[in-house]
Amino acid sequence: MPYEVAQIALMTDNLGLCDSPSNSVAPSLTLLIERAKAGEPAAFEQLVDHHQRKVLSTAWRMLGNREDARDAAQEVFLRVHKYLKSFRTDQEFAAWLYRIVVNVCRDHARKHGYRHQFASFESERDAGAFEELVSNEDVETNAIRSQERALVAQALATLSNKERAALVLRDLEGLSTKEVAQALGSTQTTVRTQISSARAKIKLYRDRALNRARRG
Amino acid sequence: MMKCRRVKKLLPLYVEGDLGSNQAESITAHLDWCGQCNWLADEYKESQNWLRTNQAPEFDQAFLDSFKSTVMRRVEESAVRPSLLASIAQQLSRRQVLAMSGAMLIAIGMVLFYIYQTRLSVKLPRVETAKQISETERAPGDVPKVNVDDSQENPSVPNKHSRHQPNQKTHKPAPMANLEEPPLFSQVNRWNELGTTNEVAVTPRDLKDDSTEMLRIEIQTADPNIRIIWFTPKIADGPQTNQ
Repeated sequence: MPYEVAQIALMTDNLGLCDSPSNSVAPSLTLLIERAKAGEPAAFEQLVDHHQRKVLSTAWRMLGNREDARDAAQEVFLRVHKYLKSFRTDQEFAAWLYRIVVNVCRDHARKHGYRHQFASFESERDAGAFEELVSNEDVETNAIRSQERALVAQALATLSNKERAALVLRDLEGLSTKEVAQALGSTQTTVRTQISSARAKIKLYRDRALNRARRG
Repeated sequence: MMKCRRVKKLLPLYVEGDLGSNQAESITAHLDWCGQCNWLADEYKESQNWLRTNQAPEFDQAFLDSFKSTVMRRVEESAVRPSLLASIAQQLSRRQVLAMSGAMLIAIGMVLFYIYQTRLSVKLPRVETAKQISETERAPGDVPKVNVDDSQENPSVPNKHSRHQPNQKTHKPAPMANLEEPPLFSQVNRWNELGTTNEVAVTPRDLKDDSTEMLRIEIQTADPNIRIIWFTPKIADGPQTNQ
């Protein structure tokens, strides 16, 4: 069992989204899914164990704060458990999972609005949920990074839901355009359009921020 | 050779390798000699690097353990908790479930029947008007002669006789009004053909206003105990009584 878990961890470290066009799920992951489908709690727990980091980080990037990300990630796994029986093993599990993440984050944002969205990373870290990322670096570097992260979070907040989802999956999660299209349930052309628009907006936001910093 | 305008549109995709090989090669060739586009491409690359400074947070193990346990607890709760219908069905025997289903069907049927009856009662006054006239026609020795003035002979007048629906738009004949029309005026014509001595007088004198909006029409049959009175809304553009 530990060998199997390690193998799954290796395969799904990036949620199994490799560049190869294979649509099949790896055998051991398939086995794990089949066991979870059969109602084995330990198998489902392993699925949660191996995907929770990615789900949490994606939700955090989509929603911008810890509380919403945690709630959304919990909802994601509840939906996975609920609809796992409808998952076909010839599907890409990661794309299926990302699709749930995107849908849950969209529903969450719609339900709760964007009142508390995109809090700065440091406020999240000060809340005690995250590890210190750069504990050995000096305070000045940390402050600069903190400002940049807050700016990036604000820049992401200026995008539409679809643009943000496409950009997060493509540029921050490292999925290919095809995988993003699968996850978002749209065409590659649409995804390219959204990504192009999102990158242009991010650049514009950064240019303005830099100009303000120079003037100030 | 691509133009700068086209290159600028494609640069956001070019910097991350999202273009096809042909387009990417064309842009690379363009960037070799176009300084402005080259500078813009560098800007996009810097922007993308800046975007990636938004690293995903590292979640500590305690947080992850807590998260996982919460998820598993909620999954167990959702598995244990049945739906409302299922929980009701579990508490009842099969016979009780069947009896409840039958009772619900009967209740739904009664509600539908009530709604149907309620709608029917709204239409009832019109039917009664037609019935009254047909009964008048069938009464022995009581077939009246009708003297109807010009306004009564106009086919547009019967549409105004919808006294039970004052809100109805009278300039368009409603389907129910058309249904009412044949018994009333076919009878009038038949009464004229018969040339009976009984009189139903509808004169301008009888067509008197009770209010500014309603027109009162009185028809006296041969039987002095029977007088048909009905009200109809006045229409400004329609044929009016000669008063």
